Amino acid sequence: MATHREANFPSTPYVDPSPSPSSIPHVDEVGATSAPLKSASFFLGSYCQKYNEDFMLCKSENRDPEHCLKEGRRVTRCAQDLIRKLNQNCAKEWEAHWQCLERQNHELHLCRKPERTFNQCVFDKLQLKKEIPGTPEGKEQIHEKKNPIWKGMQR
Amino acid sequence: MPVPFEALIPMGLVGVMFFTTGTAYKGLKMIRNDGKPQRSNIDNFDVMMMNRDERLTGSQRGQSMEAIAPKEFATNSAWSTEKVG
Repeated sequence: MATHREANFPSTPYVDPSPSPSSIPHVDEVGATSAPLKSASFFLGSYCQKYNEDFMLCKSENRDPEHCLKEGRRVTRCAQDLIRKLNQNCAKEWEAHWQCLERQNHELHLCRKPERTFNQCVFDKLQLKKEIPGTPEGKEQIHEKKNPIWKGMQR
Repeated sequence: MPVPFEALIPMGLVGVMFFTTGTAYKGLKMIRNDGKPQRSNIDNFDVMMMNRDERLTGSQRGQSMEAIAPKEFATNSAWSTEKVG
Protein backbone atom coordinates (compact mmCIF):
# COMPACT_ATOMS: atom_id res chain seq x y z
CA MET A 1 0.00 0.00 0.00
CA ALA A 2 1.45 3.37 -0.98
CA THR A 3 0.31 6.69 0.37
CA HIS A 4 -0.28 9.18 -2.36
CA ARG A 5 2.41 11.77 -2.92
CA GLU A 6 2.35 14.51 -5.49
CA ALA A 7 4.58 14.03 -8.49
CA ASN A 8 7.81 15.91 -7.92
CA PHE A 9 10.40 16.50 -10.59
CA PRO A 10 13.40 17.60 -8.59
CA SER A 11 16.13 19.19 -10.58
CA THR A 12 18.37 20.78 -8.02
CA PRO A 13 21.68 18.94 -7.97
CA TYR A 14 23.48 18.95 -4.66
CA VAL A 15 27.22 19.13 -5.23
CA ASP A 16 29.58 18.99 -2.28
CA PRO A 17 32.68 20.94 -3.31
CA SER A 18 34.71 20.17 -0.22
CA PRO A 19 37.76 18.00 -0.92
CA SER A 20 38.36 14.68 0.78
CA PRO A 21 39.96 14.82 4.26
CA SER A 22 43.73 15.21 4.39
CA SER A 23 44.09 12.07 6.52
CA ILE A 24 43.34 9.98 3.41
CA PRO A 25 46.29 9.68 1.00
CA HIS A 26 45.43 11.52 -2.19
CA VAL A 27 45.20 9.55 -5.45
CA ASP A 28 44.03 11.12 -8.70
CA GLU A 29 41.01 9.52 -10.29
CA VAL A 30 41.14 7.49 -13.48
CA GLY A 31 40.44 9.80 -16.40
CA ALA A 32 39.43 7.23 -19.02
CA THR A 33 35.78 7.08 -20.02
CA SER A 34 33.55 4.09 -20.77
CA ALA A 35 34.58 3.15 -24.34
CA PRO A 36 38.39 3.13 -23.80
CA LEU A 37 37.88 1.25 -20.55
CA LYS A 38 35.69 -1.37 -22.20
CA SER A 39 38.21 -1.73 -24.97
CA ALA A 40 41.06 -2.27 -22.49
CA SER A 41 38.95 -4.22 -20.02
CA PHE A 42 40.56 -7.64 -20.45
CA PHE A 43 44.05 -6.14 -20.25
CA LEU A 44 43.11 -4.25 -17.09
CA GLY A 45 41.82 -7.54 -15.74
CA SER A 46 45.01 -9.45 -16.34
CA TYR A 47 47.51 -6.65 -15.59
CA CYS A 48 45.87 -5.61 -12.31
CA GLN A 49 44.49 -9.00 -11.36
CA LYS A 50 45.95 -9.24 -7.88
CA TYR A 51 44.86 -5.73 -6.86
CA ASN A 52 41.39 -6.26 -8.33
CA GLU A 53 40.96 -9.57 -6.52
CA ASP A 54 42.21 -8.01 -3.29
CA PHE A 55 39.63 -5.26 -3.61
CA MET A 56 36.77 -7.64 -4.39
CA LEU A 57 37.64 -9.89 -1.46
CA CYS A 58 37.80 -6.86 0.80
CA LYS A 59 34.40 -5.69 -0.45
CA SER A 60 32.91 -9.11 0.16
CA GLU A 61 33.87 -8.76 3.82
CA ASN A 62 32.22 -5.38 4.36
CA ARG A 63 30.50 -3.09 1.83
CA ASP A 64 31.22 0.06 3.81
CA PRO A 65 33.20 2.37 1.48
CA GLU A 66 35.61 3.28 4.26
CA HIS A 67 36.68 -0.32 4.72
CA CYS A 68 38.29 -0.75 1.30
CA LEU A 69 39.81 2.65 0.60
CA LYS A 70 43.38 1.32 0.63
CA GLU A 71 42.69 -1.52 -1.80
CA GLY A 72 40.73 0.91 -3.95
CA ARG A 73 43.69 3.27 -4.15
CA ARG A 74 45.87 0.39 -5.31
CA VAL A 75 43.37 -0.53 -8.03
CA THR A 76 43.23 3.08 -9.19
CA ARG A 77 47.00 3.40 -9.37
CA CYS A 78 47.36 0.13 -11.29
CA ALA A 79 44.68 1.13 -13.79
CA GLN A 80 46.32 4.51 -14.33
CA ASP A 81 49.66 2.77 -14.87
CA LEU A 82 48.25 0.50 -17.57
CA ILE A 83 46.39 3.36 -19.30
CA ARG A 84 49.62 5.35 -19.38
CA LYS A 85 51.45 2.37 -20.92
CA LEU A 86 48.70 1.89 -23.52
CA ASN A 87 48.85 5.57 -24.42
CA GLN A 88 52.60 5.40 -24.86
CA ASN A 89 52.69 2.19 -26.89
CA CYS A 90 49.42 1.41 -28.66
CA ALA A 91 47.48 4.66 -28.66
CA LYS A 92 46.41 4.55 -32.33
CA GLU A 93 45.14 0.98 -32.31
CA TRP A 94 43.39 1.57 -28.98
CA GLU A 95 41.68 4.68 -30.31
CA ALA A 96 40.58 2.83 -33.46
CA HIS A 97 39.02 0.08 -31.40
CA TRP A 98 37.13 2.24 -28.97
CA GLN A 99 35.93 4.60 -31.69
CA CYS A 100 34.48 1.51 -33.42
CA LEU A 101 32.84 0.47 -30.15
CA GLU A 102 31.31 3.94 -29.78
CA ARG A 103 29.71 3.57 -33.22
CA GLN A 104 28.49 0.03 -32.52
CA ASN A 105 26.69 0.44 -29.19
CA HIS A 106 29.70 -0.93 -27.27
CA GLU A 107 29.19 -4.42 -28.73
CA LEU A 108 32.49 -6.27 -28.80
CA HIS A 109 31.39 -8.80 -31.44
CA LEU A 110 30.82 -6.05 -33.99
CA CYS A 111 34.34 -4.65 -33.78
CA ARG A 112 36.57 -7.70 -34.17
CA LYS A 113 38.86 -6.28 -36.86
CA PRO A 114 40.18 -3.28 -34.92
CA GLU A 115 40.24 -5.50 -31.86
CA ARG A 116 42.58 -7.95 -33.60
CA THR A 117 45.11 -5.22 -34.45
CA PHE A 118 44.86 -3.77 -30.94
CA ASN A 119 45.35 -7.15 -29.27
CA GLN A 120 48.33 -7.86 -31.52
CA CYS A 121 49.92 -4.49 -30.66
CA VAL A 122 49.41 -5.00 -26.92
CA PHE A 123 50.83 -8.51 -27.13
CA ASP A 124 53.91 -7.26 -28.98
CA LYS A 125 54.63 -4.23 -26.82
CA LEU A 126 53.28 -5.15 -23.38
CA GLN A 127 53.13 -8.95 -23.51
CA LEU A 128 49.50 -9.04 -22.41
CA LYS A 129 47.14 -11.55 -24.00
CA LYS A 130 43.37 -11.27 -23.95
CA GLU A 131 41.87 -14.42 -22.52
CA ILE A 132 38.22 -14.78 -21.59
CA PRO A 133 38.12 -16.63 -18.27
CA GLY A 134 35.48 -19.28 -18.07
CA THR A 135 35.62 -20.54 -21.65
CA PRO A 136 35.05 -24.31 -21.59
CA GLU A 137 38.17 -26.46 -21.86
CA GLY A 138 39.12 -27.19 -25.44
CA LYS A 139 36.87 -24.53 -26.95
CA GLU A 140 38.65 -21.73 -28.76
CA GLN A 141 38.37 -18.18 -27.54
CA ILE A 142 35.34 -16.51 -29.08
CA HIS A 143 37.27 -13.45 -30.17
CA GLU A 144 39.66 -15.66 -32.15
CA LYS A 145 36.97 -17.59 -34.02
CA LYS A 146 37.71 -17.49 -37.73
CA ASN A 147 34.22 -17.41 -39.24
CA PRO A 148 31.74 -16.31 -36.59
CA ILE A 149 28.02 -16.56 -37.23
CA TRP A 150 27.16 -13.43 -35.24
CA LYS A 151 28.85 -10.52 -36.91
CA GLY A 152 28.01 -7.10 -38.24
CA MET A 153 26.19 -6.35 -41.45
CA GLN A 154 28.35 -6.47 -44.54
CA ARG A 155 28.69 -2.89 -45.69
CA MET B 1 2.61 -8.58 -71.19
CA PRO B 2 4.58 -5.38 -70.63
CA VAL B 3 5.49 -4.49 -67.02
CA PRO B 4 2.91 -2.08 -65.45
CA PHE B 5 5.45 0.58 -64.64
CA GLU B 6 2.81 3.16 -63.66
CA ALA B 7 2.04 1.03 -60.58
CA LEU B 8 5.62 1.20 -59.45
CA ILE B 9 5.59 5.01 -59.32
CA PRO B 10 3.46 5.33 -56.15
CA MET B 11 5.38 2.45 -54.58
CA GLY B 12 8.56 4.35 -55.33
CA LEU B 13 7.10 7.53 -53.86
CA VAL B 14 6.10 5.76 -50.64
CA GLY B 15 9.54 4.22 -50.46
CA VAL B 16 11.15 7.63 -50.83
CA MET B 17 8.95 8.99 -48.04
CA PHE B 18 10.01 6.16 -45.71
CA PHE B 19 13.63 6.77 -46.66
CA THR B 20 13.55 10.51 -45.99
CA THR B 21 11.73 10.26 -42.66
CA GLY B 22 14.03 7.45 -41.55
CA THR B 23 17.09 9.43 -42.53
CA ALA B 24 15.74 12.54 -40.77
CA TYR B 25 15.12 10.56 -37.55
CA LYS B 26 18.58 9.04 -37.70
CA GLY B 27 20.12 12.45 -38.38
CA LEU B 28 18.35 14.01 -35.39
CA LYS B 29 19.46 11.14 -33.14
CA MET B 30 23.05 11.55 -34.34
CA ILE B 31 22.93 15.30 -33.63
CA ARG B 32 21.80 14.55 -30.08
CA ASN B 33 24.58 11.98 -29.65
CA ASP B 34 27.60 14.00 -30.81
CA GLY B 35 27.52 12.58 -34.34
CA LYS B 36 27.43 8.93 -33.22
CA PRO B 37 24.58 6.42 -33.41
CA GLN B 38 22.32 6.36 -30.38
CA ARG B 39 23.06 3.80 -27.66
CA SER B 40 20.37 1.17 -27.27
CA ASN B 41 19.66 -1.48 -24.60
CA ILE B 42 21.23 0.66 -21.93
CA ASP B 43 21.25 -1.11 -18.55
CA ASN B 44 21.94 0.41 -15.16
CA PHE B 45 25.67 -0.14 -15.51
CA ASP B 46 25.69 1.78 -18.79
CA VAL B 47 23.61 4.57 -17.21
CA MET B 48 26.14 4.82 -14.41
CA MET B 49 29.08 4.85 -16.84
CA MET B 50 27.46 7.45 -19.09
CA ASN B 51 26.82 9.73 -16.12
CA ARG B 52 30.48 9.29 -15.18
CA ASP B 53 31.44 10.21 -18.76
CA GLU B 54 29.33 13.34 -18.43
CA ARG B 55 31.16 14.28 -15.24
CA LEU B 56 34.50 13.68 -16.97
CA THR B 57 33.93 15.29 -20.35
CA GLY B 58 30.71 17.32 -20.20
CA SER B 59 28.69 15.09 -22.55
CA GLN B 60 27.21 11.64 -22.08
CA ARG B 61 28.87 10.47 -25.31
CA GLY B 62 32.15 12.27 -24.82
CA GLN B 63 35.20 10.05 -24.44
CA SER B 64 38.75 10.53 -23.25
CA MET B 65 41.70 8.21 -22.83
CA GLU B 66 43.63 10.12 -20.20
CA ALA B 67 45.07 8.27 -17.24
CA ILE B 68 44.39 11.11 -14.79
CA ALA B 69 40.98 12.75 -14.47
CA PRO B 70 40.64 16.55 -14.54
CA LYS B 71 40.69 18.22 -11.13
CA GLU B 72 36.96 19.01 -11.12
CA PHE B 73 36.09 15.32 -11.32
CA ALA B 74 36.97 14.75 -7.68
CA THR B 75 34.17 16.98 -6.40
CA ASN B 76 31.55 17.28 -9.13
CA SER B 77 29.45 14.24 -8.31
CA ALA B 78 25.86 15.31 -7.72
CA TRP B 79 22.93 14.05 -5.74
CA SER B 80 19.55 15.09 -7.15
CA THR B 81 17.58 16.73 -4.37
CA GLU B 82 14.15 18.18 -3.82
CA LYS B 83 12.92 20.78 -1.39
CA VAL B 84 10.92 19.24 1.43
CA GLY B 85 8.53 21.34 3.48
